[in-house]
Amino acid sequence: MSSPTSIVDLHDESLLARLQDLVAASPVPEAAISEVLQVLQKARGYIDGEALRLAASLTGLSPVKVEELCTFYSLVLREPVGTHVLRICDSIACHMAGAQDILTQARQHSGVDLGEVSRSGKLTVIPHVCIGLCDRAPALMVDDQALGPVDTQTLTQLLAQLEADIWKPS
Amino acid sequence: MKHVFFLDGQEIPFIPGQNVLEAAIAAGKDQQIPYFCFHPALGSLGACRQCAVKMYSHDSKHPPRITMACLLPASDGLQLVTLEDDVHTEHREIIELLMTNHPLDCPVCDEGGQCHLQDMTVQTGHSVRHYSGPKRTYRNQDLGPLVYQEMNRCITCYRCVRFYQDAAQGEDFGVFGSRNRVSFGRLEDGPLESPFSGNLVEVCPTGVFTDKVFRHDYVRVWDLQQGPSVCPHCAVGCNTTPGARLGTLRRIRNRIRPEINGHFLCDRGRYAFPYATANSRPLQPRLQGEPSRQDAVLRQLASRLEEGRSGFLGSPREDLHSNLGLFALADCLHAPFAAVTSSWAEALAQQCLALPQAPSLQEVAAADRIVVIGDLDSIAPMAGFAVRQALRQGARLTVLASSRTELAQKGDYRPLRPSALRDQVARLADDPCLQGGRFPVLLATAETLGPSGLYALRKTLEKLPANARAGAFVNRPNLFGAAYFAADGHTERLQQALRQRKINHLLCLGADPLGEDWGAGTWRTLAPGLDGLTLLDMVDSETARSAEALIPVAAFPERAGLFVNYEGRIQAFSPVYRREAQVLHSAVHGSGFPEAAGGLKHPLGPPPPLFWLGRLAEMLHLHEAWQKRLDFYLHFLCPEQPDPEGPGVLLPDTIRARFEIAALPATRAVTPEQWELDIFRWYGGETLADTADELHSLAPARGLRVHPDVQAVAATLHGPCGDLQLPVIACAEMVQGVIAIDQEGFAELGLYPGDPVEVSWEQSR
Ligand code: SF4
Ligand code: SF4
Ligand code: FES
Ligand code: FES
Repeated sequence: MSSPTSIVDLHDESLLARLQDLVAASPVPEAAISEVLQVLQKARGYIDGEALRLAASLTGLSPVKVEELCTFYSLVLREPVGTHVLRICDSIACHMAGAQDILTQARQHSGVDLGEVSRSGKLTVIPHVCIGLCDRAPALMVDDQALGPVDTQTLTQLLAQLEADIWKPS
Repeated sequence: MKHVFFLDGQEIPFIPGQNVLEAAIAAGKDQQIPYFCFHPALGSLGACRQCAVKMYSHDSKHPPRITMACLLPASDGLQLVTLEDDVHTEHREIIELLMTNHPLDCPVCDEGGQCHLQDMTVQTGHSVRHYSGPKRTYRNQDLGPLVYQEMNRCITCYRCVRFYQDAAQGEDFGVFGSRNRVSFGRLEDGPLESPFSGNLVEVCPTGVFTDKVFRHDYVRVWDLQQGPSVCPHCAVGCNTTPGARLGTLRRIRNRIRPEINGHFLCDRGRYAFPYATANSRPLQPRLQGEPSRQDAVLRQLASRLEEGRSGFLGSPREDLHSNLGLFALADCLHAPFAAVTSSWAEALAQQCLALPQAPSLQEVAAADRIVVIGDLDSIAPMAGFAVRQALRQGARLTVLASSRTELAQKGDYRPLRPSALRDQVARLADDPCLQGGRFPVLLATAETLGPSGLYALRKTLEKLPANARAGAFVNRPNLFGAAYFAADGHTERLQQALRQRKINHLLCLGADPLGEDWGAGTWRTLAPGLDGLTLLDMVDSETARSAEALIPVAAFPERAGLFVNYEGRIQAFSPVYRREAQVLHSAVHGSGFPEAAGGLKHPLGPPPPLFWLGRLAEMLHLHEAWQKRLDFYLHFLCPEQPDPEGPGVLLPDTIRARFEIAALPATRAVTPEQWELDIFRWYGGETLADTADELHSLAPARGLRVHPDVQAVAATLHGPCGDLQLPVIACAEMVQGVIAIDQEGFAELGLYPGDPVEVSWEQSR
């Protein structure tokens, strides 16, 4: 998944219909929230306030409850991101295998703080909880693809590819 | 059979169903087990891992193991130990982890001195932090005028969110994030919306949530004078602990009373107290609007009373002694007396009194079928809180009201015009909403339901199973106490006496017959016959400013007294502080110079109404007769003086019985084409509370609340006593044909809830 920051109109009929179908197919409306958020994030790039309220009203949850979910699940984005999102695991196994160095390198490359969009608009680096690749620590995710182990060299290559728009998920 | 387990060799008694921590706290042994996330009213969570105990098994096969006391059900003969090194280490290390990010700001933290975290840290012996990395820092939210947030102090016990979302069922507060970046607050900055938000201050065991009003005039808690009091802001009568210092009231905290408010208070109860410190509060007697001396005012009043042309008006806002003292004086002088300001309010009081024993809030929380009539949260918020506790246990709730109130959103909402309520209530006995339950409870806001509706409620109750209960609520603390001796037609007789010029002077106790009280419109039309009005009150008002004489009285925490709550529970409160203490060195209360050096004169605290009434009786040479009558009335209603620390005394059923035959006023018929009136209140609104700046800043705008279909920006309502012109406020889910206005509006019009009204709409400004 690349993450375009183009904002799709929330009144888009087909999008709304899709979201409503998801809710209707769910045993209770509240249970559809994760899927609704996923679809909204794909369409809008991230969950802005308007999308959050739409998700709340569709599922009958309060906006606070939706925000609780959004902030709990680190795959849900509440701020605009670059064309590619680099999620670098900083949980225990990766930490021990040098995740901090990877994070620092990626952040320096992006030229902005963690979570912000790099000046080229191509990249956002985010620290992330364990992605289940502890055996391949230090690990990371480029958009939807998990990679590991990563070292300084492979990261340099990866960053260059992302910058040049030639990176392809395998 | 007595159940016990053993904690460090000591017997701890328990009730089956309790967990080990709960039983240990109840037995006063919490010194041995530190804890955070457990709260007696919120239960166990197991989140903080602080309450470790070591459990020894009865056999030799299983080694002893450390476990969480709050998650361990108490069972007979359990052997638990805390006085061993590994348990100590566990306690110390856990608190060190919890303290990793905690700022070292106790000296500037409002929680200091009443901080559970401070106590537990000292108790477990943690003093050195081994972690040397940077601490996590949050951006705090502005949560409005009542609750202050300092998120860095959080230890993630989740008490706040369990209270706000689970117990109070509020929707605008939550827990965000994960791992060590969890925070508790609102989606965005803004005032907390729950009527119970102030409880965050008490449930949070650290200084994250502190009292923002207390902060304005803060002192350390060990410097506070505190004592048992009763909330004076509605008929529930929650138990409170006011705290004062240097002669001024600083804050209100909850005082645990299981039958009524348990561990909590509503925001009106907690934040309305600045009525006692308001600059506008009258502290000195006034004659013709000018400050005067006690004896001058008393002499003036005594000569008025000697003329024999005075009427007496009591008030459900004042306590029992004061009302009975006034009644006794009227009696001695053979003068007309009324306890309430209109015949409608009198009938309302009588119908409330005639209801059989109402359920306590503890019982409401245990009901499984509940019908709420009107906007309960806006009258008696803690009654609404009790309904929420019942809902958590699976109760079925039906709400009959003219708008979808917050409670209505949590149950079955039946939209009804106020005039239709009486017939609905009369049919409730056969209604499916009450069927199949074990314990049905009906709760009404008295004013919305009206006297005839309350009568219908009593008749319905007779048809329901014998254990069914009903309660009626007003936002006055002492309707029962004030109205008890008010026989049929009192108010009418008083007004008649004024109309026929038999009296030309009114002595009012905490009543505002020319302001917002029920029937004020009628009183205003009678005002030309009124030569003078004397008011005993603790808040300022238009009436107080224009009164012939104003006699200031002590605020409730400044005196002893009795309130009779909606159950007929007579509760005593004690004087907590003396207003007359000199106030020195406070930027808020005046200069630090002594008076002789040109400093400000410090106001003396006004005495309670009973003192003034006693002095008057003396001056009129009636003291003995007055005292005798007063003692008689008091003894009749309340033979046994309740203890302020106890649960109060319930009025016996026989005493209510005399109201069962009370007359009902005629209700006006309303046709479906007519507009009709309902009352609009909000949870922070009440006469005393309206003078509390912080709370009052949250009050909704004044206006005519109608269904959004109404195409008008404003309207003028026409009533028998006057017109009322206000902007229109569209309210989604308001029943069509209904206009909700505040009590002041009713007073201006001379109408009552459920009355039809003439309207002229204005399409544009
Ligand atoms: S804010 Fe207070 S109550 Fe809430 S989790 Fe933190 S410490 Fe506990
Ligand atoms: S419910 Fe009534 S008595 Fe209780 S705290 Fe609130 S205003 Fe006071
Ligand atoms: S700790 Fe990094 S993938 Fe599990
Ligand atoms: S009180 Fe037992 S784990 Fe928190």
